[in-house]
Amino acid sequence: MDKSNKELSGKIALVTGGTKGIGKAIADKLASNGATVVVTARKPSEQESAHHFIGADLTDSSNIVELTGKIIEKYGTLDILINNVGGTSSPAGGFQMLSDDDWNRDIELNLLASIRLDRAMVPKMIEKNTGVVIHISSLNGKIPLYQSNFSYGVMKSALNAYSKTLANEVAKNGVRVNTVSPGMVKTTAMETFLETYAQTINKTVSDASQQLMDSLGGVPLNRLAEPEEIANMVAFLVSDGASYITGANMLVDGGTYPSV
Amino acid sequence: MEKELIGKVALVTGGTKGIGQAIAERLSDAGAIVVVTARTRPTETQTKHHFIAADLTIASETSKVVSEINEKFGLIDILVNNMGGSTSPSGGFGALTDEHWESDLQLNLQSAVRIDRAILPQMVEKKSGVIIHISSVTGTLPVYQSLGGYAVAKAALNNYSKSLSKEFSPQGIRVSTVSPGMVKTDTMDAYLQSLAETSGLSIEQVTQNLMDSLGGIPLGRMALPEEIAELVGFLVSPKASYITGVNYIIDGGSNPSL
Repeated sequence: MDKSNKELSGKIALVTGGTKGIGKAIADKLASNGATVVVTARKPSEQESAHHFIGADLTDSSNIVELTGKIIEKYGTLDILINNVGGTSSPAGGFQMLSDDDWNRDIELNLLASIRLDRAMVPKMIEKNTGVVIHISSLNGKIPLYQSNFSYGVMKSALNAYSKTLANEVAKNGVRVNTVSPGMVKTTAMETFLETYAQTINKTVSDASQQLMDSLGGVPLNRLAEPEEIANMVAFLVSDGASYITGANMLVDGGTYPSV
Repeated sequence: MEKELIGKVALVTGGTKGIGQAIAERLSDAGAIVVVTARTRPTETQTKHHFIAADLTIASETSKVVSEINEKFGLIDILVNNMGGSTSPSGGFGALTDEHWESDLQLNLQSAVRIDRAILPQMVEKKSGVIIHISSVTGTLPVYQSLGGYAVAKAALNNYSKSLSKEFSPQGIRVSTVSPGMVKTDTMDAYLQSLAETSGLSIEQVTQNLMDSLGGIPLGRMALPEEIAELVGFLVSPKASYITGVNYIIDGGSNPSL
C-alpha cells in the first residue's frame, strides 16, 4: 500500500490491546491512513496482521518499561498513543461481590496501565512539541451500573478525570489528549457474551441484545456499534483535522447517554 | 479530501461568513451540493455555493428557503443550523430587557426549531439525514458579564438538540451539537480591534485578556473557523454513523469540567 500521501504518513502509532475488537479496528484504520502501527496484547493474534506486534501484559509495570524501550529503540519516537487496553473480570452481582483483589485488578488494567504508559511516552512527545494521546473509556464511566461492571465503570470515570487533567497540563507542550467513550460495541467478545447470555435466559441472540440495550435505558439508534465506527472517531481525533480538540470526552454511543 | 458527500444536499444557515462559511467550504470540498443562507448577499462572488437570502428569525422565510432548495436540488440530506449570535448589551443581568431575551432566543433557538420542523419530514420520509446544531461553549460555561442571554439560549439549544435526537434517531436521523470555544472569525477580529482601541492595549493583550476571562485556554490560542468545520465535516459523514445525541465541545480544552 502506498502510504506516502495519506494523512498519517510517517507517523508512529501504538495501540494497546490492538489485536482484537475495538483495538484491532483502530490499528487497521490508522494503518490504512498511513501510520506505522505497533500493537500490544498478552498473546499474538491468531489472524494474519500487518502491524508490528509486541507481547506485553500492561498490568505489569516491568512489561511497560520493556515495551517503551523496544519502541524507542526501533522507531526513536512515538506520535500517536492509543490507550485501548481495558476490561474487567470482576463478578456481577453488585457491591458486595467485589473483593479488594477485584478492585485492584480493575484499577491496574483500566487506569494504571494508561498512566504508566503515558508517563513513559508523553515526555517523548513533549520533547518534539507534538503528539496525540487517546484514552478509550466507556459510556459506563458516565452511566454507572451496579449489577455488573460496577468497578469497571468507576475506573473509567477515574480515567476520564485523569485524561482531562493530563490534557490541561500538556496542551502548552503541543500534545493533545482526549477520551473516547464507546457505548455497546459488537466485538467478537460481545457476540460471544450475547450467545452465552441468550442460552442462559433461553431467548434468541437478538432478544438478548435488546435486553442489554434496554438495561442502558435504550439505544436511540437501536443497534450496537461496529468496532470500525469507534475507530473512525479515533482516526479523526489523531488527525490534523482535530487540531483544536483537546481535553474532550467524545461519546460514540448511538445516543444512549440520556442527559444533556 | 475524500469525496464522501457526493450527491448530498446540504443547507448551512448563516453560511456566508465565519464558521458557517468554513463549514460550507468543507462540505463542498467533500462533494456536497451546498446551499447557504444569510440576510444579505455576500459581496464576494461565491461560485461554489448556492445562496438564498433569508432572515430566519422570521417564520415565513423558513418555508420559502426549504421549498426553493427542494425545487432546485431535491430533498435535503444535511442541515447545519449555524446561524446564531447576539446583539444584546454587556453589563450583566440588569442590562437585559425582555426584547434582548426575545431576540437572543429567536436567533439562537427558535430559528433552528423552525427550520428543523420544516426539514425533518423529508428526512423521516427517507429514513436518513443529519442535523447539526452549532452551539457554544458558553452553553455549558456561562459568563454573566456579556453574552448572558446568548449563553442561556445556547444551553436551551443543547437541550433541544438532545431531545430531538432521542425522538428521531430511531428513524435513522442523526442529530448532534457542536460547541465551539473562541473562534478567530472576522467578527471576532473586529471585536478585538475595537476592544484594543477603547482600552489602548495591544491586540495580543486584549486577546489574552479575553482568553483569561474564560479561565484560560490550554492550547493557548483561538480556534480557526476551519477547525470547527473539520469536526462538522466528520459528523455529517458516513464515518460518524453511530454518533447521535452528542454535544462535542471543541474549545482547545477551555471547558474546565469533565
